[in-house]
Formats: sequence, structure tokens, C-alpha cells
Amino acid sequence: MQNLTIQSSVDFVEVFSTKAGAIYQSDVENCWYIDFAGKLARFDYRNILKLKKAVYHIDIEDLLLNNTKSPDVEILFICACDHCYVLSLIEIIALKELLQGTFVMLELNHIIYDRLHRIIS
Amino acid sequence: MKDIMRVKCLLSSDVETLINQQIKKEAHSSAIYLSMASWCNRNGYDGSADYFFAQAEEERLHQLKFFKYVLDMGGNAVSPEITQVKAEYNSFREVFEEALEQEISVTQSIKNIAARCHKEQDFVTLEFLNWFFKEQREEEYKARRAVELFEVIGEEGTGRWQIDKHVGQITYSEA
Repeated sequence: MQNLTIQSSVDFVEVFSTKAGAIYQSDVENCWYIDFAGKLARFDYRNILKLKKAVYHIDIEDLLLNNTKSPDVEILFICACDHCYVLSLIEIIALKELLQGTFVMLELNHIIYDRLHRIIS
Repeated sequence: MKDIMRVKCLLSSDVETLINQQIKKEAHSSAIYLSMASWCNRNGYDGSADYFFAQAEEERLHQLKFFKYVLDMGGNAVSPEITQVKAEYNSFREVFEEALEQEISVTQSIKNIAARCHKEQDFVTLEFLNWFFKEQREEEYKARRAVELFEVIGEEGTGRWQIDKHVGQITYSEA
């Protein structure tokens, strides 16, 4: 796994955080940094949407209820993205919560932009 | 904080999902019409087979129009998987009744997208949908007229042969 060195000059804005992790937005790079499962990973617009889709598609209820002997580990591999996650069920739930919160905040930001900045200026 | 999502894509994720469902619906429609063309051809209704071939082509064009719109607006257009295409029909009349039903359901689902756009004040997509509403006027008219031929001409004697001859002549001229 590559090590990311984050320059201190990069401007991060926290979008949403939970006890398990946080997601920051970089306006300079037009991307998001996800601090989760012990690493900081960079996601651009396409990749974060792919991650969202992948996480939302995991059937958590099914993983909880099925009693097969397979381990409750999911591998999240995003096509054309440098990162992948190997997560336990608890972590999947935490990541889903983190992403849901993030997308709500991004939506809120969008509404604020539309109502305030774009109309007035 | 920049509004990156909006900068990248004009459509909200809900509208994008709805249009992608519509893309699938149009593709499904096209496949159904092709299947109807096949049934008509196999049973000797050449005129109707040609009519349904043309309809299949038209639905395909609608699908592409939606597809391109999503991409042009910065969204993600998904090429759909088409399954469960009915291949057998009980009667000549049933084919046309189902074609009309298909058009009604397409109109309804476009109305659903428009309702969502109204709610979000997505006037750009609404304007785009207007073309389809106009198109559906014609599609439903043609499908309804075709079913009515069964009443007007009747299926007795050479009735079905007559109907088959007249289906291709149905045209819609706007008032």
C-alpha cells in the first residue's frame, strides 16, 4: 500500500465525521480524503460515487442473518481507483454511516450554494 | 466549501437514477416490440411486423436520447440489462392491446420523472422531457387507433388481413 504524504499547505474542510472516521474535502484538488480503517485515501468525484454505490449495495441484513461459515468480511474494490478496503461487518456499517452523513452534508452545501451564493451574485 | 458535486453534474442523484430506469424501460420496450414483430411475422402478419420493427427502432432512439442526455449533463448513464421479454402471444389482438399498455406505462413513468423534477425545480430536465411528452401523444394515439381497428373492421372473414394492411397507414397529425 502506498504511503500518502499530505502537504500541510493543502486546505482540508471536514465534511462529516463519526467516531470511526472522517471525510474531508479539498477545494484545491476537487476531491475528498477519507480517513477510515487506519488510512487516508484520496477519492475524486467519480471514485467517491463508485465507493458510495459499492457500500450502499452491500446487503448488511443478509450478512447479519445468514449463518454460513464464511467470514463476515467484505472486500471493497473500486475500479480504476488506487484504494481498496477489506472491512468487517462492523466497519461496513460505520463506513456506510460516514458516507451517508457526508452525502447529506454535500447536499446541504449544494442547497446553500444554490439559495445564497448563486442567486445573489 | 466548494459545491463539487454540482460543478461536475447538473442532475441530482435521484433524477439520474430515474432517468437510468427510464433508459432501461425504453430498451425493454424496444425488445418487446422486436418480439412482437417476430410473432407477427411468424403468423403471417407482414404489415404489422413492419409496424413493430419501426416501433422497436423508435424506442431504441428514445433510449439513446435519454442516455446521451445523462452523459451530457455529467451523469453516469448505465447500459441496461434486458430480461423477461415475452415471445408468445395468444392472439393477433392481444399483441396490439399489449403494445398500447406498454405505451401507457412509458408515458406514466416519464410523468413520474417530471413530477420529481418539479419537486426539485430541475427545469432543465423538465424542458428536455417535453419532447418525450409530445412523442408519447403520437405513440399512444397510434397504439390506440391500432386496437380500435379490431372494433371497426372486425376479425371475422378477411378482417385480420384488412387490419394487417391498415396498421402501417396510421399516422398522427397534430391539431
